[in-house]
Amino acid sequence: MTKRLAETILLLGFIGIATTLGLALLKAPSVSINAFESPEAQRIFYWHVPAAWAAFIAFGFLFVGSALWFFKRSNLGWRMHVAGAEAGLATGLMTVWSGMVWGSAEWGVPWDWTDVRLNTFGLLTFLAMFLVLGRQSQPDGVETRDTFSTFGLFGFVLVPVTYVATRLWQIRHPGPVIGGGDSGSLNGEMALILLLGAISFTVFIAGHMLMSMRITSLEQRLESIQEAMDKV
Amino acid sequence: MAEGMTYLAVAYLGMLIAIGLWTWTVFSRSNDLEQRLQAVERSIDTIEPEQE
Repeated sequence: MTKRLAETILLLGFIGIATTLGLALLKAPSVSINAFESPEAQRIFYWHVPAAWAAFIAFGFLFVGSALWFFKRSNLGWRMHVAGAEAGLATGLMTVWSGMVWGSAEWGVPWDWTDVRLNTFGLLTFLAMFLVLGRQSQPDGVETRDTFSTFGLFGFVLVPVTYVATRLWQIRHPGPVIGGGDSGSLNGEMALILLLGAISFTVFIAGHMLMSMRITSLEQRLESIQEAMDKV
Repeated sequence: MAEGMTYLAVAYLGMLIAIGLWTWTVFSRSNDLEQRLQAVERSIDTIEPEQE
């Protein structure tokens, strides 16, 4: 039942993402050629922003899961931690990669080491990578879970810093287009496609996290059966 | 202009293929684990009557 639900949510999200990208390419209005070096590349925004949004959801999930494991010793919390780290890594990479493609076209360089938003988000993605690869290389146990949960808890500090970075220190990354006061510059059609993208990515990442939690649960069951058989 | 849109279409397609592959690996990991679990449970079922 859970498997079917997770698979359905995942596929719905995937279809939504494909639709968003189709609309972004064919329907979204063009931007002023005077405002951008590379106006066509601006359409990557319909991928980049929803992917970053999904990454924040995943990091939030990771934080809650880490806290549940660390303070309550909840197995559900550990499964949430694993799912949040995997989803955070995937969506973080999507965001970084799409940002670098746009940066190359618009700025002439894919990365700016002086920009706070870019660097804090990059660090978050590295944190997720450390958690995913670290878990795969360590034997599962209370100490391992405690260590990785601590990183999940403290690493979350980077999420609000990343969010406010372009409001406090606007260096190279563009300022907020939504919720940024008068500086917002989205017309109705653009906002609608962006909203569809945000919903699709949210559904997609929710499906992925449900699937990932199920996989961790199956791994734990298999491991406990094998341990019991070894003892016999 | 047209060249830029072609690059963008290729980038979009690449990203869709990447997330499609990621989704596929998740599906196959889940199916693989399910099959392994079923095989282990079946082997336990066959061992238990023998022991009785």
